[in-house]
Amino acid sequence: MDRVIYTSLTAMRGSMARQTAIANNLANVNTPGFRGEIAEAQTIWLQGSGVGGRAVSSEEVIGADMRSGAIAATGRDLDVAMRGDAMLVVQAPNGEEGYTRRGDLQVAASGLLTTGDGHPVQGAQGPITIPAADAIKIDEEGRVWVVPAGGDPENPQQVDRLRIASTAGSDIVKGLDGLFRVRSGGILPDDPEARLVTRSLEGSNVTATTALVEMIEASKSWDSQLKLIGDARDMDSATANLMQLPR
Amino acid sequence: MSFGALHVARTGLDAQSFRMQVIANNLANVNTTGFKRDRANFETLSYQMMTQPGATSAADNRYATGLNLGTGVELAGTSRIDTQGSFAATGNALDMAIDGAGFFQVQMPDGRIGYTRAGNFDRAPDGTIVTSDGKPLIPQIQVPEDATGLSVGVDGTVSATVPGQSDAVELGRIELARFANPAGMQAIGDNMLVETAASGAPQVGAAGEEGRGSLRGGMLEGSNVNVVEELVDMIETQRAYEVNSKMIQATDEMMKNATQTL
Repeated sequence: MDRVIYTSLTAMRGSMARQTAIANNLANVNTPGFRGEIAEAQTIWLQGSGVGGRAVSSEEVIGADMRSGAIAATGRDLDVAMRGDAMLVVQAPNGEEGYTRRGDLQVAASGLLTTGDGHPVQGAQGPITIPAADAIKIDEEGRVWVVPAGGDPENPQQVDRLRIASTAGSDIVKGLDGLFRVRSGGILPDDPEARLVTRSLEGSNVTATTALVEMIEASKSWDSQLKLIGDARDMDSATANLMQLPR
Repeated sequence: MSFGALHVARTGLDAQSFRMQVIANNLANVNTTGFKRDRANFETLSYQMMTQPGATSAADNRYATGLNLGTGVELAGTSRIDTQGSFAATGNALDMAIDGAGFFQVQMPDGRIGYTRAGNFDRAPDGTIVTSDGKPLIPQIQVPEDATGLSVGVDGTVSATVPGQSDAVELGRIELARFANPAGMQAIGDNMLVETAASGAPQVGAAGEEGRGSLRGGMLEGSNVNVVEELVDMIETQRAYEVNSKMIQATDEMMKNATQTL
């Protein structure tokens, strides 16, 4: 039997993987700071005797779409959005440094300043702990100000400064925890010129219409592979008919 | 063949419908005194590594990037947006609004102290100041039956004129509590919040001092729900729900074609 159906199968697997990636983009269409993923098929040439000229398909997520999402004012003091392509430095679950565009900060029970999904943000001296305070404010340069409990509201004190990294010229990749890291290891340089939009939040950069078109494309590619498998079956049965001994 | 896309889209539907619930609750409370709107926070679920980058694909080839597939989205929680609501004068002396940070303290039936921004207080038959559903304000203040000209000062002093005395007498002083992290307080219904480990311990004291807001007698703080904002959020949620259900439909179609063709 011909191997055409196995070649088609690799493409079908790829279509389903791509559909899953698109479904994940669509599911996160409202997640703050989310970066959509781009899945693409890659060709893998088979080598060895009798398979020359044969290639199968393999689906890979080649990276994330790094365009900015829309920034909307929320009026919440701990919401920040990054201008340009700068990223907030946070601590990943494994202790490494990770980068995110997510700026809905909150104060955890321990006083630790974290992102909305619970990663501690990094200041100049490591994780930022907010003391008992009457008011917390983050300014455009990422400095965190508090009015200490019982202190003078006109005289806030600086606790730390959010570390904001520059991604310019670096190859960053999204890890399994959804945080970005430098592809070959290492850390991004801090960007002292980076500015924040305060009391605002950056949305997801997934465009629903684009994702829907990609979804239809992935479905159609699945269907055309199915058609090929169906055709291969018809050819096989036609061959079998030809070979049948006359009765 | 995995049905990954179906389940990923389902997490999207779940999360959007939770968000719709939060928006519905905000809209339902658009006229609730002292209500603070909630915001639904989404977070991505963990990623699954299907193909390791650098794994051998064929002979001398290696995968450059690998295949990490996301597994969807979930609602991480809600955060209360503590902006000030607008004030409305009511003319009722026992209506109070807090201008700034802080909460009224209320004795709850189960012995805990409840904290609220809703300042629509009443006078109970025995003269104590209570919330509209009868929970006594802390510290307890007795208003004599024959008192007239009741007023609440910006610092929380409650004074009234009683027969036989020309000057107003001070009946008591309302104290406010404030928290280091008010967003960490837990809402338990009936306009009440309670302290948690995340909110920190209450700092109780006179109104207008140490960062506590001052009191405005004869006024009520409305909810901080902005109807237009909620409606825009609602449309956004609805569309997001729609695209996720389209995804389920498309994946279902793929599976249907497969079962029919193969």
